[in-house]
Formats: sequence, C-alpha cells, structure tokens
Amino acid sequence: MARFRNNKKKGFVKPVVKKQPGVDHVTGEKIPHSIVFSRGKIPSSLKQLQMDLRKLMLPFTAVNLKEKRRNNLKDFLNVAGPLGVTHFLILSKTETAPYLKVARTPQGPTLTFKIHEYSLAVDVAQSQLRPRCPQDLFKNSPLIVLSGFGSGEQHLKLTTVMFQNIFPAIDVNTVKLSSCQRIVLLNYNKDTKFIDFRHYSIRLQPVGVSKRVRKFVQNHQVPDLKNLQDVSDFITKAGYGSESEVDDEAATVTLTSDLGRINKASSKSAVKLQEIGPRMTLQLIKIEEGLCSGGVIFNAYGNEAEKKKEVKEEEDKINEEDADEDADED
Amino acid sequence: MAEESQKLETVNLSKKRRLGRKKGNKTKKKLKGFDGSGERIKIDRRMKKLFRKRARDYNSDNDEDEGDDGGYAVATKGENAVPIRKEVALDGKDSSEEEEDHQDIDEENEISEDEEGEIQPGITKLTEGCRAFRLAFKKIIKKNVSDVSLGPVLSGHKKLVAEKLAEEEAEQKVKGDVKKEKHLLEEKGHVKPANFLDSHEKFLIGVATKGVVKLFNAVNKAQNAQKGLNASRFKDEKAIIKRRKEAFFSELGRTTLSSAGAPAKAHTSSGPVDGEGPAWAPLRDSYMLTSSKLKDWDKMPDSVAEDEIERIPLDSSDDD
Repeated sequence: MARFRNNKKKGFVKPVVKKQPGVDHVTGEKIPHSIVFSRGKIPSSLKQLQMDLRKLMLPFTAVNLKEKRRNNLKDFLNVAGPLGVTHFLILSKTETAPYLKVARTPQGPTLTFKIHEYSLAVDVAQSQLRPRCPQDLFKNSPLIVLSGFGSGEQHLKLTTVMFQNIFPAIDVNTVKLSSCQRIVLLNYNKDTKFIDFRHYSIRLQPVGVSKRVRKFVQNHQVPDLKNLQDVSDFITKAGYGSESEVDDEAATVTLTSDLGRINKASSKSAVKLQEIGPRMTLQLIKIEEGLCSGGVIFNAYGNEAEKKKEVKEEEDKINEEDADEDADED
Repeated sequence: MAEESQKLETVNLSKKRRLGRKKGNKTKKKLKGFDGSGERIKIDRRMKKLFRKRARDYNSDNDEDEGDDGGYAVATKGENAVPIRKEVALDGKDSSEEEEDHQDIDEENEISEDEEGEIQPGITKLTEGCRAFRLAFKKIIKKNVSDVSLGPVLSGHKKLVAEKLAEEEAEQKVKGDVKKEKHLLEEKGHVKPANFLDSHEKFLIGVATKGVVKLFNAVNKAQNAQKGLNASRFKDEKAIIKRRKEAFFSELGRTTLSSAGAPAKAHTSSGPVDGEGPAWAPLRDSYMLTSSKLKDWDKMPDSVAEDEIERIPLDSSDDD
C-alpha cells in the first residue's frame, strides 16, 4: 500500500526577497560579478590556474565554487541570474592546448582564447626573491589596463569592452587610492596577435628618501648601528643608490591624500609594480554571438564565408590585372 | 596397500584405546559426537561438516574410505599426527625412491611402538620427520650450483626468472613512457617564469606603470578640485557638481584639440577620427552604425575622451 504524504509536514520555505545583488549600495552602479569554472576534465595545474583566476577576480566572484561533473552550462546560467553574475570565465582543455572562454551572461557574446603559455601564481612567486602579498591585497578589485587594442578592428574593440566591464568601474572623483592595490594588464601584440595577460600588485614608495630611512619608517624596527661611528651617519651615509631610481621620473605620482604610513599627501611617490601572477599568453580564436553558441562573429582561422570572399576578391584582382595588361598591350 | 590398511588399523586401535581410557565402555558410534569433548569445545553442525569435508579432501588421494569412518571429523591430537606423518612420508617418496624401504621400516617401527601404547604419537612423528627432512636436505646440499647472480635458490628457474625480470622491466618502461606522455600533455603550455625580468616583462611592467600613473594623476586632479569640500553637506555638494561639470567640459574641449593636433593620440582612441567630425563619438553621424554587430553597445565607453589605454569613466556626464 502506498503511503499518503503528510501535507502538514511541509518544510519552511524562505520567502524570496527581491534584491538587486549586482548593485553597489553607495553609488548605485551595477557591479559586475563573475564566476570561474571549468568544463570537462582538466589537469591539476589548470585547476590551480582556475584558483588563481578566481583570486584575481576577487572580491566579486565565488572563490569556493564547487562544480560537479554533471553540472552543465545551463546550471551555471540558472544560478547566474539570481546571484547577479554577469561574466563567466570558463577553462577547458583539449589535446592541443588549454582554452579560456570569457562570456557575458545571459546572452553572450563569448570570446574564446587559446592559452599558449601560462604560469601559475605559485610559479611567479617562486621566481621572485621576495614575493609580496599584503593582507588586503585581494580585498578590492583590480584596475585593468588594456594596451595595444586600439587598432580599430571590431573584434579587438569587443575584447576591450568585454574586459573593461569585467571589473567594476572606477569613479575618479570618489575613488580611494588605497583601494588600488592590484592591476591587470592586457597587452595586445600586433605582430604575433597574442595577448599578454599579467597581474601586478601596486606599491607606492616615497621618492627622495634614502633606502635606510624608508625601511626604518616602514618596518618600525631598531636599525643596526654597529658599523656606524655616529647616529647621524645613519642618515647622511647614503647606501649605494639603485639604478632603478634613475628612470623613475615617469613613474612618480603626487598624492592627494595620505596612503599608508609612509606616503604622505602632496609628496612625490614612485609607483612600483610587482607581479603576483597568474601569467598567460592568450590568442583570440573566436567570438560567438551567444553564450557558447550562436553565430560566429570572428574566427582567427577565418570564416568559411570570408574565405570564399577573399578567394573571390583575389580572383577579381587577378582578372582586373589581366584586363589591365591586356589594355596596356593594346 | 597392505601397509596402509595396517596403519589404518593402528590408528583405529589407538583411538579406541584412548577413548576407552577416557570414557569407559561407551560405544564408538555414540562417542563420535563427543570426540573433542575432552577439551570442552562446542562444535556446531556447520563447522563439523566443514572439518569433515576438509579431512576427506586431505585423505582423498590415499585413502577414500577413511572419510566415511568419521574418525577425522574432529581433529584430536592423535589423529592430527597421522596425516602429517603421511605427508612427510609422501615427500620422502617424491625426493627419492630408495628411501622408501627405509620409510617402511620406520613406519613399521613406529606402529609397533604405537601398539605398545607407551610412546606418544607426536614424538615419533618428530623423529621420523627429522629423518626425512635430513635426507631431503642432504640431497639438496649435495647438488653443486654454479655461481649466478640470481642466486642458488632460483637456479632451477634461472632462465624463466631472467625472462620475467626483463619483461617486467620492459613493461615498467612502457608504463613510464605512457605516464610521461600523459604528464607532458597535461602540462602543455605550463611555463615556469625566469628568475630575472627579461625585456618583454620589463616592457609590460612599464606599460602597466604608465597606466597606473595616468589613473593616479587623474584621480589627483579630480580630487584636488573638490578638496576641502564635504560631499555630505548640501552646499558643498552643489559646488562639487559645478566644479565637476566645468572639469568635464574642459576635458571635452581639450580632447577635441588634441585629437586634431596629435594624430598619435588619435589612433589610440577608438574608431577612425575624422578631422572635421566631433571628437565625442555619440555626436558623430556614424555612431553606432559601424558597430551594429556588437551586442553590448550600451556598454561601450560613452566618451572617446577617455583614453583607450586606461579605464576611467567620467561619470560627470551621469551627474548632470
């Protein structure tokens, strides 16, 4: 005999509160949110890259996102709506290379990049003598710098727009400089058509102060004076100046407000960047109209239609030349 | 066969004798169940069956009818001794045919001893086993073995073992190759960065630094304008808006000039900029017509004044 379900035993259903999650409560602007996940089986190094990318996308991303094998794109899309997720970063791998897809939800477009080379944040940190990771490094979203994209081609323009909107916009009038801790650089190389993807941390240092004094102020530690004759030597005896300070002229800024303990307002500060990784060399392969579907707007290997067109044009050209030659001959 | 029957008899005899000692004048049939009762072990039926089957299996090759007897149902000390001894005897036969005579004599001796009933069966077994073992061992020792890397013990299967080792090695190699290949495939594209900054990296850092400096300067400029004014106060807010407006319009005018004057900068700004057309994209006639394919037209930067290199939305336009 089948048992009847007790209707009274219905669990408490939380009423859905209509809230706009992707809106900044101060300025009312829409904040882009993103999730990074992978499709298919990916090796451990790519999993690490995925984690690095999630960290890079902080704070408006799901760091501890757990995906299952049976999750398909639709699942993510269904979640994206209520959570206000605007961008998908999808990692995948084939036998030829790993791929990164950057997509806007819910309608697209989707940019597919081939990852030619990549280094993890760990590798980058290992390559450095003193890797730097302040506590609040990942508390604010990074700035994004796109360079070399301005050649006027459609697909590059679209890429620019896509990446600009992946991070929240900065209001010049209200932004706090202390919140600018990281920077993501995308540099397009015209010759190779590769995009260099880099992630740096920003550090400001006062200019015109000897290293010793700077370190002293910074660290608040008792300096080692045993080799000095007098206390004044500590300041007057300049250490060997680093050669990097010479070409720092271009990299100095004047601050409007104090930044930390050592960078005072209206004093010159040098901008120092240190890589935190991950590092990628991307190649734009394809742009699709929809979310991983739809018509192909751009294809690096050439569209079928375009190819035909090109061939036709070439033929026309040849024909024209022939005609010209014929005319000359006459 | 005669010998075996004799043995069987002795076994039965010994058991009978012992049982007789223990339990007086009870019949053999009845005693069967109580066989192990001397040690007070409870035996359930299944175990009993198992034991019986084992005993039958054990004895199947030399005496089939003994299983029916049921004497092996529960392994008592006396019965245990018998099969072991037999095994040893068999071993002895395998190792050498000549020993058989010896063996027979031994067994007969043992049996006679058994029949006397004074000597425990376990002890006789030990001495007998020793002898067989000694003979077998002597034979092994007598063989002279050439010194091979594989050692004397494996000498019999020297070739086989070598073959097997080689095969294993080959297998391992193949496995390793496959693993290596897989690892290579997995790590495709994974590059460890160099310890030093090469020229390309330096160039990239330079570009990034330029961007940061530009942003910071812009922030500095914008925030200098509203210095000393508190945004939360109504009066100040008005002033701030006014100043922002001024700054915005001045920026617009400046870029118009600069785009006309400096073609270098014009190429960084999006789209082909005509000399006579307005610098701000929405004011141009061709705005949005060229990029009809773009889905995110509303996300396009609303001013060309904003440098392509860097993302600083001038939200002053929104404030108005």
